[in-house]
Amino acid sequence: MTLTVNGSSVEARESSTVRQLLVDRKVKMPEMVSVELNGEILERSGFDTTTLKQGDKVEFLYFMGGGNGAQ
Amino acid sequence: MNGNADLAPLDGAHTGAGGVAIHQTAAYAYSTAQEMAEVFAGRAPGHIYTRISNPTTYTLERRLAELEGGVGCLATSSGMAAIAALALGLLRSGDEIVSAAGIFGGTISLFRNILGRLGIQTTLVEAGDAAQFRRALTPATRLLFAETIGNPRMDVPDIPALAELARERRLPLVIDSTLTTPALVRPKELGADIVIHSTTKFINGHGTAIGGALIDAGTFDWAKGPFPELRALARNAGGMAFLAHLRMLAYRDLGGCPAPGNSFLMLQGLETLEARMQAHCENARKLAERLSGHPGVAWVNYPGLESSPFHGRVRKFFGGRAGGLLTIGLGEERRAFRFVNALRRARIAANLGETRTLVIHPASTIFHEYEAPDRARMGVPEDMVRVSVGIGDFEEILQDALQALAASDKEVP
Repeated sequence: MTLTVNGSSVEARESSTVRQLLVDRKVKMPEMVSVELNGEILERSGFDTTTLKQGDKVEFLYFMGGGNGAQ
Repeated sequence: MNGNADLAPLDGAHTGAGGVAIHQTAAYAYSTAQEMAEVFAGRAPGHIYTRISNPTTYTLERRLAELEGGVGCLATSSGMAAIAALALGLLRSGDEIVSAAGIFGGTISLFRNILGRLGIQTTLVEAGDAAQFRRALTPATRLLFAETIGNPRMDVPDIPALAELARERRLPLVIDSTLTTPALVRPKELGADIVIHSTTKFINGHGTAIGGALIDAGTFDWAKGPFPELRALARNAGGMAFLAHLRMLAYRDLGGCPAPGNSFLMLQGLETLEARMQAHCENARKLAERLSGHPGVAWVNYPGLESSPFHGRVRKFFGGRAGGLLTIGLGEERRAFRFVNALRRARIAANLGETRTLVIHPASTIFHEYEAPDRARMGVPEDMVRVSVGIGDFEEILQDALQALAASDKEVP
């Protein structure tokens, strides 16, 4: 399936979860990343359970909050 | 590759070195323009400029956030810079603060003078009385502010009651925990939404650097609070909205970042914080007990004393430990000065929380810009001496105080 990740067209495995996408895309510091799915921020707890579908727009964002103690 | 390798780009503690590396740098270089643009856009993690973030400071922020149980931390150049970033990052003209009155003079000065000039009003109330906070609230109130132990009033607010009030009105409760540190209390567990520290004091512990910190406990829902910019950002940044907002606006633009070397000194202080706080608390309690009832001392104010009206809260909130600061009354200003001058070991200095004992006459120093009636309202009588009790041998600290009391009865020509 094709996704839009950080503005670029990207091929991803069918029914990938957000967690799998983070691994497949080798996202740096996955414990710090915020994921926006189709314009909505996704709760961290939903990374394993949210399945992506064709055409989804995914943004990996790093909000420099600093010192994330909840890793 | 181990788990820590992921932290390498941001964290100063990933090499296995016993000490945290001091990243003494202004900026961070990138291999390509695209890579840097990604970091600026927030699409890749990375440091840009030490005014915004730094690996050494980042390690301090992580540890403080963890110690406070918060979602994140912003370390600042001073405690005042933390409060200034908070206030200027959240408030606008017409907004109001309800704050405890008996707090640090610098904070009151910021609230009154700088914020007052910008049209942000502060109502000062008795910290110990939550009902006064309730009565002072108006539709324009945007935050509640108190210190765990008021400096120098030494009063302890009913933090859970203030938290309940804040929740009811959907306002953040800001608690300055400088005098207690995470060794004594996690204000989050009492209901604080934002925790402030002057890390200069007990966290540094040795009087070698100025610093501050602000921790977001993660309990306030910024998407529903009375701050329009934060409501919008919270839709994108979730729980990190407030800290991201502060870092990318108030902090970045105000320039109150810590020097990396100072962050190192704060990190080193954290290593011994618990042991030092134990010694501070024990020496302060014993000194307060020994000076209470001494004929040369008019009064002793230490919330750890059983006679203190705040003793119950100290037991309940701080596990019975009331910190290393106390105030004593010498009857009149002249006698207070003679006492201070007669001390042989304690130093006369405008700091607190150092390993050595420090004294100051607050009315003529930290609060000198206020008129006497104002000072009285802030809990700063003319005969007051503030003592930051050190961690050295108790008998030496006591004997120094006793000989100075004896000397303060003698008229000096």
